Amino acid sequence: MANINLQCLLGIQCKDFVMIAADQSNSHSIMVMKDDEDKIHKISDKLIMGVIGDQGDSTQFAEYIAKNIQLYKMRNGYELGPTAAANFTRRNLAEYLRSSTPYFVNVLMGGYDKENGPELYFMDYLASSVKVPFACHGYGGYLSLSIMDRYYKEDATEEEAYEILKKCVKEVHRRLFVSLPNFQVTIVNRDGIKVLPVINSELLK
Amino acid sequence: MKKIVEINDYLLGTLAGGAADCVYWDRVLAKQCRLYELRNRERISVAAASKLMANMVYNYKGMGLSMGMMLAGVDKRGAQLYYVDSEGTRTPGKVFSVGSGSVYAFELGRRAIYHATHRDAYSGGIVRVYHISEKGWVNISNEDCSDLHYKYAAEKGNVGA
Amino acid sequence: MLSVNENFPEYAVPGAKQVRFEPYADNGGSIVAIAGDDFAVIGADTRLSTGFSIYTREQKKLFKLSDKTVLGATGCWCDTLTLTRLLSARMQMYEHEHNKSMSTPAVAQMLSTMLYYKRFFPYYVSNVLAGLDADGKGCVYSYDPIGHCERSNYRAGGSAGAQLQPLLDNQIGLKNMQNVTESPIPKEKALALLKDVFISAAERDIYTGDCIYILIITATGIQEEKFELRKD
Repeated sequence: MANINLQCLLGIQCKDFVMIAADQSNSHSIMVMKDDEDKIHKISDKLIMGVIGDQGDSTQFAEYIAKNIQLYKMRNGYELGPTAAANFTRRNLAEYLRSSTPYFVNVLMGGYDKENGPELYFMDYLASSVKVPFACHGYGGYLSLSIMDRYYKEDATEEEAYEILKKCVKEVHRRLFVSLPNFQVTIVNRDGIKVLPVINSELLK
Repeated sequence: MKKIVEINDYLLGTLAGGAADCVYWDRVLAKQCRLYELRNRERISVAAASKLMANMVYNYKGMGLSMGMMLAGVDKRGAQLYYVDSEGTRTPGKVFSVGSGSVYAFELGRRAIYHATHRDAYSGGIVRVYHISEKGWVNISNEDCSDLHYKYAAEKGNVGA
Repeated sequence: MLSVNENFPEYAVPGAKQVRFEPYADNGGSIVAIAGDDFAVIGADTRLSTGFSIYTREQKKLFKLSDKTVLGATGCWCDTLTLTRLLSARMQMYEHEHNKSMSTPAVAQMLSTMLYYKRFFPYYVSNVLAGLDADGKGCVYSYDPIGHCERSNYRAGGSAGAQLQPLLDNQIGLKNMQNVTESPIPKEKALALLKDVFISAAERDIYTGDCIYILIITATGIQEEKFELRKD
């Protein structure tokens, strides 16, 4: 679907946390149907996944991964860490890619690992997967990546990282030809998952 | 053709797209909902019904099914509205459910459909309005869009045309 | 199905032509059915053609499914044959299972699901079903090739369907007229109208002509009538 780059995912991983932001628009051809869609899925206690892409595939894929990771925990009594979860997700994407029903989704996966701390994984629909300190998906990402290059600090606080995301969204509002009014933000740190306020023009004032 | 399908006393589905696809899969959904009721001794939630539908059509994604539907109903959680289509989209909506019981909502819906019949070649015929409350759905009105046209024209002070 | 030329045009070999089997034929023919209070009439022409040539001038396209139900089917003749044979088999199975004959609305619903069963390789058939319902009232059901079904009081289908339906809308439905009162159509009028309508169809539609067979379904049984059309 051509729509995939019109949506936007942003992610930052610092020393103590990982933060993912996603736009909340749901459009069909020329029409915006919704601007409060939830694109960041909670996979487990300390694992989240931002998914954009083909409408049906996004929800269907996110739920498939989430349920399988929960099932793994039930069967084995311990959880998949972010690295294992990312590899599991990548493998699924890769296998479905060569089937007659590939999932057309781009993903950012963020989690907090007991040993290694926060981790962020960038994954696209071709099943590339790479561990990164910050990443973006969609045309909005082209505008945001250099902002992240300029302002990223490994030891940034949660407030500072949120400010960087605000800068990115501000740029998306200013320069991107499509309207993505709302960005939801979710953070994972050693205490778990926390939902931060939605970034919109009201908040950016 | 009736484009609002009465799935059960508390659930309505709207149809758009391929007529045969919509009618067939709505019938299958109605069957599934009834079976759920018999098995679990309680009515199915709108969320569950819409998910049944979304999962059924998702299996056929890319094969040419064409349907876009809204499922509206009342369950334990109150009034619910879901949009489901043959792309596999399933998303809850608040935007379309204007304050329940409001006569303005009926008028808003009716008028919106009338304007669609006027400008869209594929829309026309009878404009139907339903109201769903905790006691189930009630059919409010079924009006010919041509009658509505002259009514609205008269309200605007035009004789017609 | 994955077709290289359609889905990956950049990989198609230039100059190479892909030949594909075309599984459908259009053998023409028209059907008209009208329902009254206690009867239903259904007529279909007898011309079977392909393109500009005529296979036969005497092919009946009406199928007596029971003493209360008649199906008219036109379009791809081979699909018509398969479908009607399958339909009567399914009706027999119903009879054996339930020890009663199928009502017209039941046949109508079954036909719909049978057509939808072939959703991704449809029967290329235009169906009109006429008969008496459980209350003895006349009824007409019409279909699209993938099984959408609608009950009405009159319907034209087949190659001249689009030309005849507006005429029926005017003469029976009394559409777009002011100061008219709707009243149930008498059998004689329905029959006369059906013949008139086919004369018009034979005039303009090259796939409709030769003859029509009319079946008149009443509580006492099914009567057959033949009516000549122009043969050119």
